[in-house]
Amino acid sequence: MTSDVIEQNAAGRGSATGADDALKIDFCGMAFATPLVLLSGCVGFGDEYTRIEGFTHASVGAVCLKGTTGSARLGNRPHRVAETPMGMLNAIGLQNPGARYVVDHILPGLDFTSTRFIANVSGSTVEEYREVTQIFDDSPIDAIEINISCPNVKEGGVAFGNDPDMSARVVEACRGATKKPIITKLSPNQTDIAHNARRCIEAGTDGFAVINTLMGMAIDAETRRTIIGNNQGGLSGPAIKPVALLKVHQVYQVAKAHNIPIIGQGGVTNAEDALEFLIAGASAVGVGTALFYDPLVCDEINRGVSAYLTRHGFNNVSELTGTLTLNG
Amino acid sequence: MRRPLSIMRASPSEGWIELLYRVVGEGTALLSRKARGEQVNLIGPIGVPFRIDESRTLPLLIGGGVGVPPMVFLADAMRQSHKQLEPLVLMGSETPFPFRARPSQIMVSGIPGDVIAAMPLLEDWGIASRLASQQGYAGCHEGYVTDLARLWLEGLDGDALGKVSIFACGPEPMLAAVARLARDHDLPCQVSLEEYMACGVGGCAGCAVPIRTAEGVAMKRVCVDGPVFPAEAVFPG
Ligand SMILES: Cc1cc2nc3c(=O)[nH]c(=O)nc-3n(C[C@H](O)[C@H](O)[C@H](O)COP(=O)(O)O)c2cc1C
Ligand code: FES
Repeated sequence: MTSDVIEQNAAGRGSATGADDALKIDFCGMAFATPLVLLSGCVGFGDEYTRIEGFTHASVGAVCLKGTTGSARLGNRPHRVAETPMGMLNAIGLQNPGARYVVDHILPGLDFTSTRFIANVSGSTVEEYREVTQIFDDSPIDAIEINISCPNVKEGGVAFGNDPDMSARVVEACRGATKKPIITKLSPNQTDIAHNARRCIEAGTDGFAVINTLMGMAIDAETRRTIIGNNQGGLSGPAIKPVALLKVHQVYQVAKAHNIPIIGQGGVTNAEDALEFLIAGASAVGVGTALFYDPLVCDEINRGVSAYLTRHGFNNVSELTGTLTLNG
Repeated sequence: MRRPLSIMRASPSEGWIELLYRVVGEGTALLSRKARGEQVNLIGPIGVPFRIDESRTLPLLIGGGVGVPPMVFLADAMRQSHKQLEPLVLMGSETPFPFRARPSQIMVSGIPGDVIAAMPLLEDWGIASRLASQQGYAGCHEGYVTDLARLWLEGLDGDALGKVSIFACGPEPMLAAVARLARDHDLPCQVSLEEYMACGVGGCAGCAVPIRTAEGVAMKRVCVDGPVFPAEAVFPG
């Protein structure tokens, strides 16, 4: 039995650092207060985290809402999450109330002056992707992220994202349905991500999100059963960072000539991680799983990135993008 | 990832909370190795608590294993803010209880005379408690805690039975048995659920479980929509 007093560790937590001009970027024509983006599926529909003392959307450039489909989805059975070494598996199964509901009942409650809100669009068919994009087109949402990389649904998702032809068809269909910026979220579960990126650029994407989760499994040896209800899930967190850095680097090689920016993501937990993604070729950096152990982590990352910029004589964080030197 | 833990006791005026947890994996093992004075980070309190119906003056609190601490918390809340209630707390565990059981000075009719082991903290508060286990611990009912609850319920007359409401927290098979018990006796029953969690604030839907609602099955988040749900919504007939 423990009777020690346990209290919230609030030491050293300053206010948001969003006001720093050096952190401001333009991403696909959107003004981001900082290069950080809260990632889809980790922050619900935008207001769940605002209940935490000290949390503010002003710390980030944008917030990606939970994956949204044409009609409501219940999602997968429990367990939906499991901790694994240096990361976690999730198989939520795109639980969401449907695009119409999100636009009519959730978006009106969001404070669009605090940050940019990005819809995360999913579907089982190309037509569903187009339909959902169209619904969001007629809404205050700032941009559309096309999720062709969800590993946790039977149709669509990663099945589309691993096939460059299908990826291009989805992007093309969504492009036809909106003039808002389109960010295509690529899957790491494919052999040639650069080729896929090229096809998505041809199909009209304005930006990329790299990477979504890697497919994985967790097993309980005692019961000889899988831990996740869906048997397999998507791996996120620090465990996937090296994979993510390589994929960002590979996509950047293709995207830079077209001025297509990347939201680098996968295992970012601190300023060093964020800097590595920027150097690899990202213009913005996503934070997802790290929020689960520190909801205020973005303030710390902003501070660390600011300090680095000062130390290395950069005027703006965008100057860092793609500054990687490869061994000759 | 954060670990969902229930609070056993709290003193808002003195500014402390007390947690009782079992070391089951790496997270709780790390927590158990914290030394006095070290800081830990927590988010809370989160979720929807038990609702107390003042008109039902005989609350039955059933805790199993790691479901014991929230029942102590609930009993404490009843003692402090709902003085007209006369709670009975029944606890079950298949590993040694995390306290030295004491023979109870508080008589409870319907409970076999040799089942006298009680939790000292509750005893000191003047709240009746009894323990159950299949491990043959002294003074404990040998069997399931729900069997002990059934014995007590069956000893009540119709008038008293109408004043009972059930509150439970523990492993799923125990909760299912509690829900059955409540149904058999037509009693209101609330259960507190456990599920793996990631964010703890309603943002990831990682802790969602199927709950029956008027509109059909919905996936509700244990962290913010629960952990307390009506038993019949979790275990429909
Ligand atoms: C619980 C959970 C739910 C997620 N749901 C979605 C989703 O609905 N749509 C999507 O595009 N990505 C989803 N993701 C992937 C994240 O947005 C992100 O790409 C990935 O987790 C890698 O970043 P991280 O390591 O910082 O979490 C989800 C991730 C987690 C952990
Ligand atoms: S743990 Fe994230 S919604 Fe409950």
